[in-house]
Amino acid sequence: MKRLALMLTLLSAPALAEGENVTIDPPADGTVSRAEGLLAFARIYEVTSHPRCSNCHVGADNLPMWSGPSYGRARPHGMNINAGESRIGAEYVLCSTCHAERASLNDVPHAAPQVAMAWQLAPVEAEWFGKSAVEICNQLRDPDRNGGRDHLEIASHLDHDLILHWAWNPGGGREPAPYSLQAHVNDVLAWGVAGFPCEND
Amino acid sequence: MRLTVNGKAHEVDVEDDMPLLWVLRDELGLTGTKYGCGIAQCGACTVHMDGIAVRSCQVAAATADGTEVTTIEGLGTPAALHAVQEAWVEHQVAQCGYCQSGQIMQAASLLDMNPEPTDEDIDIVMSGNLCRCGTYPRIRAAVKTAAQKLQEA
Repeated sequence: MKRLALMLTLLSAPALAEGENVTIDPPADGTVSRAEGLLAFARIYEVTSHPRCSNCHVGADNLPMWSGPSYGRARPHGMNINAGESRIGAEYVLCSTCHAERASLNDVPHAAPQVAMAWQLAPVEAEWFGKSAVEICNQLRDPDRNGGRDHLEIASHLDHDLILHWAWNPGGGREPAPYSLQAHVNDVLAWGVAGFPCEND
Repeated sequence: MRLTVNGKAHEVDVEDDMPLLWVLRDELGLTGTKYGCGIAQCGACTVHMDGIAVRSCQVAAATADGTEVTTIEGLGTPAALHAVQEAWVEHQVAQCGYCQSGQIMQAASLLDMNPEPTDEDIDIVMSGNLCRCGTYPRIRAAVKTAAQKLQEA
């Protein structure tokens, strides 16, 4: 019971309002071709498969990963961390035990990344780690597995979720996700206007 | 910043990004909480903030503002030890002892969240608290004893 109360408290932490960080300005309907949409998704895949994003988009084992140029070989998060089905560690050690909320960047190498909201894994439906471009493409356009979002709502999600912003400014010597948050939002919007094409269509 | 530590209200004048660990040790003189690594890799600095175990080296003073903190000095008293502390004495867990205040605070948090932990639960939760002396088998045994004590209380 205490776990449940804790989870609800942590998950209800306020996020910044939409529109504070990026411009959400989709191309006009019918102006993005399938080929252009596929090119946009290719860039989206570079982001989603990047360690700054995929390390916390893990599967049902609930084990966050440590991988990327500054980590050597890919391995599960140290300290035997298991985020549990809660995806915030409520069953074991809360993510917030180390990933405390902080308004400014925690730039010390090897220290816990922190943002001004509760740290957590992405939902298990959005498993990206080790997944192919086609698999991620189909997940991201599937309302049952993307939180019921269209392209505008995915863009808004990118706008207000500060953990996602951290991916482009991770500090501590970590390699940031490619492109920029704004460029990624633009690609999501273009891909959506193109009709969410995937290579397997 | 204002915070309550072990039931006592404090007001300290520190930089926003000073780690809570230094607020406790340098500003308030509560040196039971130990500095180990400073980067959340060892668990020696574990305290409870609003009832949740945190690595105090990673909590900025601004984040701790207005919270209630419990340190090893406030978990129990010499006359009335916390069940985890009693179990630690019974099992003679400590060797050099440096990591033990963090271990005890994490173990108390574990039992608060999960009153009947399995061996696997204990291993997962306590793996973030390193012990250079390797007292892990005694830590696990003491956590089980403490769980029993709390069930019987």
